[in-house]
Amino acid sequence: MSIFKEKEGFTRRQFLKGSAILAVTVVVTGVFAKFGVDIYKASDDYIAERVQGLYTLDESMAIRRSHNNPEIAQIYQEFLSPGGVNPVSEKAHHLLHTRYGKDIPALIEELEHHDEDHAA
Amino acid sequence: MSTVIAEGVIHVTNDCKACDHCTSICPTGAISGMLGQKHHIDPRLCVNCGQCLINCPFGAISDASSVEMVRQALNDSTKIVVVQEAPAVRVALGEEFGLAPGTNVKNKMYAALRKLGFDRVYDTEFTADLTIMEEGTELIHRVFNALGVEGFESSGPLPQFTSCCPAWIKYAEDKYPHILPHISSAKSPQQMFGPVAKTYGAMKLNVDPEDMIVVSVMPCTAKKYECDRPEMIASGFKDVDYVITTRELAEMIKADGIDFLNLADEDADKFIGLSTGAATIFGATGGVMEAALRTAYEILSEEKLDKVEFEAVRGLAPVREATVEIPVKALGTKLPVHVCVVTGLKYVDSVIEDVLAGRSTYHFIEVMNCPGGCINGGGQPIRRDTY
Amino acid sequence: MSEIKGKVLKHDQQTRMMHWVHLICFIILGLTGIAFYWDINIISNIFGGPANASLVHRWTGVLFLTGPTIYILLNFERFSRFIDTISTFTKNDIAWLKTMGGYVPFIKVEHAPPQDKYNAGQKILGGLIIIGCLLIILTGFPMWLWRYTLPAAFLSMCYNIHFWTAIIMILLVGGHFFLAAIHPKSRVEFASMMMDGYVDAEITAHHNESWFNELQKVE
Repeated sequence: MSIFKEKEGFTRRQFLKGSAILAVTVVVTGVFAKFGVDIYKASDDYIAERVQGLYTLDESMAIRRSHNNPEIAQIYQEFLSPGGVNPVSEKAHHLLHTRYGKDIPALIEELEHHDEDHAA
Repeated sequence: MSTVIAEGVIHVTNDCKACDHCTSICPTGAISGMLGQKHHIDPRLCVNCGQCLINCPFGAISDASSVEMVRQALNDSTKIVVVQEAPAVRVALGEEFGLAPGTNVKNKMYAALRKLGFDRVYDTEFTADLTIMEEGTELIHRVFNALGVEGFESSGPLPQFTSCCPAWIKYAEDKYPHILPHISSAKSPQQMFGPVAKTYGAMKLNVDPEDMIVVSVMPCTAKKYECDRPEMIASGFKDVDYVITTRELAEMIKADGIDFLNLADEDADKFIGLSTGAATIFGATGGVMEAALRTAYEILSEEKLDKVEFEAVRGLAPVREATVEIPVKALGTKLPVHVCVVTGLKYVDSVIEDVLAGRSTYHFIEVMNCPGGCINGGGQPIRRDTY
Repeated sequence: MSEIKGKVLKHDQQTRMMHWVHLICFIILGLTGIAFYWDINIISNIFGGPANASLVHRWTGVLFLTGPTIYILLNFERFSRFIDTISTFTKNDIAWLKTMGGYVPFIKVEHAPPQDKYNAGQKILGGLIIIGCLLIILTGFPMWLWRYTLPAAFLSMCYNIHFWTAIIMILLVGGHFFLAAIHPKSRVEFASMMMDGYVDAEITAHHNESWFNELQKVE
């Protein structure tokens, strides 16, 4: 009965191949990590681009201040505060302002009876 | 009392692969579940911001949709359907049609909405300007009250917080009820548009507000929740009927086979459709602040600003602060206005606690839930590009 | 060849241990992975529910990485020889691949070309398993350790690569198991890797002729 075995040790060629595989593994890991870091860095770029889009649009607008909007002046003069531009008028308060948290049920009550009060 | 809506707008579908990414995105810790376990959103804690939705690697989180109702309203010839679009929609809608982020498609958007069958195309930017008028005036009243000027005793305390972000409002109502007096009583631009359209708009169009359907196109999923809040009935009807997101609008445009990129430019309709640059920047973090400063400065100082850009409040850092010197003509002094801009609800807690403890020196604080502002809202096109 | 008597030590103790560790890890990883990817509660309940199955999956993954790593560091010579063997394709290997070594029923082969320690099919399998393990480990750890910081685009890419690599590896390992344990021509090798490491010299001389000629006789 004879036992056969592989020869121990390795040749230069075998050593280089084994080392190369380990080196390739390290390089692949590095490339993958670099890829991940690049994605991580670029993942929020679109936010800045969209913000810049709004600022560029703002610069191209003829009117850039809210109080210079002619339709704003018109709605105050004709509807919200007849005769002038007076924000937080009674009508503006009714339509454009609200309340929060525990004040909401009272606000709903008021709004539901608002028309009746004005009709009366 | 918090909100009345039991079921939230945002929910995790069965496609959840339990990757656990969303729990780090959620600003309020509403999402429960461990790695490997299907996740669940607690509607009581959820502020409906949709950040988890746009950040889910599997697209497994979805929002409640009103597209069907909008379609029905559009097909109903007895209804006058008017539409408003938020500032952030116009620089992101193009992405769904292959354009680069930040490309302005405002005028094509108006044209597409008309093609979809909306009877009148207005613009939320008009009511954003209205918000500045109301909220800015309220701020001036609060500052005058704090300075001891007579006649403003009924004004609220300083600092004043902005009220445009429905996610932030729900968060404050749920977690910090004592901060509520500090929040501007002005409604958000979307909720200002509803009553304005159903009263002034209906008057101008000569229609019965009952036959009017107000649809908004928003970059935001929390707006869907906001329009359903029970107190939003100032016009005598439900102020804003339906909210669709930027994504849903793009889907509608694609479903109707509209060649979006080749549409001719159009403008918004008259009376409640004209907008300004100040309203446009509402969609970016710091934009409400900048727009308010432009108006407050010119009204208080009664002189014209040479440079309307306030670079100090721009940027993408989560918490930014700045001081603007405003010469107040009525008082004859220079007033240093301390402002703060918060983007991302995760960062607002320390600011609120400073205010509640009386340590805060700010006059005006802008809070937006989404990092970067509305342009990165939960209803915006989902970006999975890498570089 | 009938005069060849004796046994060939094909896989030494550490190799067999590494193979066992890797095999058990692979089965656990495959089962848990399938369980929570497709919500198969019957499987995940064996591991204590989806969350625990995921925990088992992750820590088995650590073993799946460290087992072979330690083996390679301790047996670098053997590993280098293995890499050399599976990366060398001679004319004989290509001839073997053309006839699939006689394993495919409808291709009749009189005498397959002489093969090295591993035949051409095994060489390709070895290469694919190395690439697959590398991909699955590289994508697996970010999904676990940096799931909060990494952007959704990268995470979804990791999940996709992880998933498809896993599917391909399960198929490969299934084929490997069939040939090494069930197929009548090659199942004699089962015992050498799974049990004592020895193969009959006669079989080796027939299946791995090139390699057998290089072996040294100990006794």
